[in-house]
Amino acid sequence: MRIALILLSAALAPAPALAANQVALDNSVFVERVTTDASGKQRVRLEEPKIVVPGDRLVFVLNYRNAGAQAADRFVVTNPMPPAVRFADAGDTRPIVSVDGGQSWGTLDTLTVPLADGTRRPAQPADVTHIRWAFQKPIPAGGAGKLMFRGIVK
Amino acid sequence: MVKAPVGGAKHHPLLLPSCSILALVATCVVPTAAHAAGTLAGTTISNTASASFDNGGGTQTIDSNRVDLKIDELLDVTVAGNATDVPTTPGATNQVLTYRVTNTGNGPEAFALSTIANVGGDNYDPAVTQIFIDANGNGTWDPADTLYVAGSETPLQPDTAMTVFVLATTPASAADGNRGVVTLVAAAKTGTGAPGTSFAGKGEGGGDAIAGATGADGQDNGAYKVSAATVTLVKSAVIADPFGGSEPVPGATITYTITATVAGSGSVNGLAITDNVPADTAYVANSIKLGATALTDAADADAGDYDGTRIRVQLGTVAGGQTRAVTFKTKIK
Repeated sequence: MRIALILLSAALAPAPALAANQVALDNSVFVERVTTDASGKQRVRLEEPKIVVPGDRLVFVLNYRNAGAQAADRFVVTNPMPPAVRFADAGDTRPIVSVDGGQSWGTLDTLTVPLADGTRRPAQPADVTHIRWAFQKPIPAGGAGKLMFRGIVK
Repeated sequence: MVKAPVGGAKHHPLLLPSCSILALVATCVVPTAAHAAGTLAGTTISNTASASFDNGGGTQTIDSNRVDLKIDELLDVTVAGNATDVPTTPGATNQVLTYRVTNTGNGPEAFALSTIANVGGDNYDPAVTQIFIDANGNGTWDPADTLYVAGSETPLQPDTAMTVFVLATTPASAADGNRGVVTLVAAAKTGTGAPGTSFAGKGEGGGDAIAGATGADGQDNGAYKVSAATVTLVKSAVIADPFGGSEPVPGATITYTITATVAGSGSVNGLAITDNVPADTAYVANSIKLGATALTDAADADAGDYDGTRIRVQLGTVAGGQTRAVTFKTKIK
């Protein structure tokens, strides 16, 4: 895994910045498929996204790692929603989100969306344009973790 | 304002099954969506996240790798036939059934059309002669519409529909009230199969094509209902002689009554009753009546006329179950 990450990092563009900070963020996407076996039990499986069609549930996984010698403070990960994907949920990773293209942020239940008649309605998952995780504690040197969210192909 | 999330995302929260059980199997994919199109096939979903942090040298920002997914083509189609039966008559040709074929997939797709006329649950098999595609979008069959020729289908854009006309002949043997059902089948040219069947590389934009919830084909019934009518004419005569009797003597007046009875669920168009005035009798001027209404002899706005040889009453369209009585008088010479 470490080799893979280094290779990935090397492949990524702004090389000078990477050399200095040694923090890596790896992004991968899976398709979540629910199958029902003969006894009616449902099984959820994550598959490689070989075939993706509208209505599929995608799971976006973000692995971060601080490979540097210093703790990484004020660590914030931001993921704009791809336009063809409707946000569903973020498991229990508790992100804050934006429903206005990244201008204002908050937990979904605190946000509203303007309507044509000038009033505002509560924001829905489908309104989410950006997802953000802002860490309260520094990532210690060598620390790593995983974030995720689900979306549905529009 | 950026608020730190309550509880925060801590390190190592393994929120997902580890990679080892990520099934890397290309099993049968069963799409969930039966509804309309969605994102167009061939569209790329790109995802990149970024992270900012401060490891002692000020705030820095890095981007993750980018993941690109190409959306595959979902093959779906629905067919909807006439909700109500289309009236026809025995022996009638070019009788039109109308269907709507909708591409509910997410890519442009051509659909092969075919009909099934010998479906059960009806009284006769309409003889399908041609299939047309509505070219001018008026929803009504015109001879100028596009004749459907198998093998020359053109793609239907996602989330759009075409109107298809099936033309058939009603057998002369079909009886009043009989129904004849025709099923129209539309099948994706790329392929059909159980939902989830995939056609590698056949999708729009080079991706795969997947049979959607409809199995990439659809069908629906349309029906004709024979609405025939028959006409029965009964003629009777009453004689009134000049002496108060009913003897057919010179000078006696004969009142003829012709009763037309229309039976059946349909109606008769252009029904006219014509009767020659018998030899040796003289027509009594302006004696034609339709029911209780007197008609003039001139060929004018009213329905009756006398041309010197015959009387005629034009009844027009008469629906089944109705009768019309025409009377006129002649005098024995």
